[in-house]
Amino acid sequence: ARTTEDTACPLQYVKFQSRNFENILVWDSGPDSSPDTVYSVEYKRYGDRVWLAKAGCQRTTQKSCNLTMETGNLTELYYARVKAVCPGRKQNNKTTDRFSSLQHTTIKPPDVTCIPKVRSIQMLIHPTLTPIRSENGHQLTLEEIFRDLFYRLELRVNHTYQMHLEGKQREYEFLGLTPDTEFIGAITILAPMWSKESAPYVCRVKTLPDRTW
Amino acid sequence: EFRFGPCRVEGVVLPELWEAFWAVKNTVQAQDDITSVRLLKAQVLQNVSDAESCYLVHSLLKFYLNTVFKNYHSKIAKVKILKSFSSLANNFIDIVSKLQPSKDKDMLSISESAHRRFMLFRRAFKQMDTEVALVKAFGEVDILLTWMQKFYQL
Repeated sequence: ARTTEDTACPLQYVKFQSRNFENILVWDSGPDSSPDTVYSVEYKRYGDRVWLAKAGCQRTTQKSCNLTMETGNLTELYYARVKAVCPGRKQNNKTTDRFSSLQHTTIKPPDVTCIPKVRSIQMLIHPTLTPIRSENGHQLTLEEIFRDLFYRLELRVNHTYQMHLEGKQREYEFLGLTPDTEFIGAITILAPMWSKESAPYVCRVKTLPDRTW
Repeated sequence: EFRFGPCRVEGVVLPELWEAFWAVKNTVQAQDDITSVRLLKAQVLQNVSDAESCYLVHSLLKFYLNTVFKNYHSKIAKVKILKSFSSLANNFIDIVSKLQPSKDKDMLSISESAHRRFMLFRRAFKQMDTEVALVKAFGEVDILLTWMQKFYQL
């Protein structure tokens, strides 16, 4: 019969989760894990021999580790691995798939300011900074990383009628609207060359009453 | 279209190449457990001038067609991989057929520079067991596409 000594320390789903180039290594312990389990993380570039220990994620009880700074070169691919150690069981190691933040990162909804006026709604899209830095240390925005990035804006007037705008600029205005009326705006970021599309930022906004009478 | 310096290649939809590769990426890369070797190293693809790019991409894609895809084909058991594989191969054939690297004498030093880069890649490939090298090269198509993308105009 198999004693617990024979079975490995439970460890599963070791993978990167990446949003706007914030690269977090996550894993799970599984159903019959012990609360005394500790985990240690190592990482390396694809093509390197040596694994590097991630300071701050050694013998931790956490089930995630931020590897953003360690995996920030867009021309590189990376691996990470987790070692799980728990009392009375064999140590367990699991490695991620090959990771490329350019390919894997998902884009968060944009940060937008929706400004109502009497007969129009203005939408100001703020640039999205990423943790990625250029060679001269300049922090890159999503627009600088994805050359083909553009914005798609939709304004829902009623159940059947929407207005659409799209482009690379950051300022838009929906014109010809009815005063004192509520609208729902939805703004999405797209980078088609990488088949990436963010979830929409949604704003509910009401045009101002017309006091010119 | 692609613009590799003077070489223009129209009619190739890069996101389709990505979709084809992503469909098999984890399957193929999981077969490559030598994570300490990378064939398409930084020295092969970084800081490639526009003028060099046509020669380099021509050499790399021909190698992929005549060596990697040709020999990897027999290893494919799953239909899903075969479909992606064919899509990539057909697109590479299309690109190579449209590339016309200049044979002018005054381009000799540039073509030789590109050749030295290609030879770095080819030497690394030949240093490995053939079967292992085939899997690794196919698993590195994303590195190749990421580099090619710099020369892609929407």
